[in-house]
Amino acid sequence: MLKGLLLSWMLITVWVVVQSVVLHVAAPRKTFNSMLTWFAPTLPLYLLLYYITPADLGFLLSEYVGVDWRIGLGNGLVVYLLLFLTVGLFYSHADRSITIRLLIELARAPEQRLTLSEMRAMCGVAVLQDRLGIMVRNGFLAARGDRFVLTPKGWIAGTVGLVARRILRIKAF
Amino acid sequence: MKGLLLASLALGLLVVGTVIGLRFYRGGKEFKVFLGALVGAIGVYAGTFWLLPADLRFLPTSWQETSPAVDFWNGLLVLGLVFHGYWTFCYFACVSPSMGALVALRLKGREGTSADEAVAIHGSDTPADLIFQRRLPKLLQGGYVKEEAGAYRLLARGERVAAFGSFLKRLINARIGAQ
Repeated sequence: MLKGLLLSWMLITVWVVVQSVVLHVAAPRKTFNSMLTWFAPTLPLYLLLYYITPADLGFLLSEYVGVDWRIGLGNGLVVYLLLFLTVGLFYSHADRSITIRLLIELARAPEQRLTLSEMRAMCGVAVLQDRLGIMVRNGFLAARGDRFVLTPKGWIAGTVGLVARRILRIKAF
Repeated sequence: MKGLLLASLALGLLVVGTVIGLRFYRGGKEFKVFLGALVGAIGVYAGTFWLLPADLRFLPTSWQETSPAVDFWNGLLVLGLVFHGYWTFCYFACVSPSMGALVALRLKGREGTSADEAVAIHGSDTPADLIFQRRLPKLLQGGYVKEEAGAYRLLARGERVAAFGSFLKRLINARIGAQ
């Protein structure tokens, strides 16, 4: 099991470094698509590395080798996908969090003070209009004249959100 | 494999626990329900891992991890990573302005919405009020900002978070601030 875990940690580290360079050099407009594009080839690479490397990776103690190789392979793959998801969510927190944006605006303001209307101007309507643009770019909404309508992808996401809101009771305000 | 199976069981209980907990919780700090459920799930996981035999009475020998420590920490890692994803999904689904717009459009059907209507979803008299109605009280209660002469001033705690946020944004080459 440890072999799969070590391979997945190694690959996610390499991918994070490569993706950071891509974000700085190419500044892609569809960031998550870029993440997926650069991550996808690492999946067969993981399988290949698992196949060609010895069970002990040349340095693991014998007590860490022995579980059915299919379990080790599958477990490493699941952990690898979860790590990718976690990095993606980390990106999302850093890029999209309104609270963080609010605090950054306050930190940049003269005397680090803002009135509510100033905050509304910086982090309110502007943020919501940004998000509409992002949802159009990412294919959740389509612009028809001056109106936005759901795409099939947006309909599925909206349904998931609707069901989640009915099951979970987290207050939006 | 024992660790993974027990982590799955603990995650199932965690999801049920948060759904039930959120139905009864009346405060504004839902994250406490999630953290409480996580602590409970870790307790269930560690307790059952310690109590139950390595083969769980049905696992074949080849499916058993030879090192109990690797098995335990692997299960805990998976538990932690899935919990993080679940927590983020729940907050995104229920609080995110983007999801709010998608849900509103889903309920409206084919007629769609204009940009102004979409913005108005998040407020009553003043657009985008919902954004501040949820976040500002939390920032005030948490000691990140304080209200002062009709304005909000950043406190040291908030400054540290803002500095960390700016650092993260530089790391991912994201725009910092409105301009």
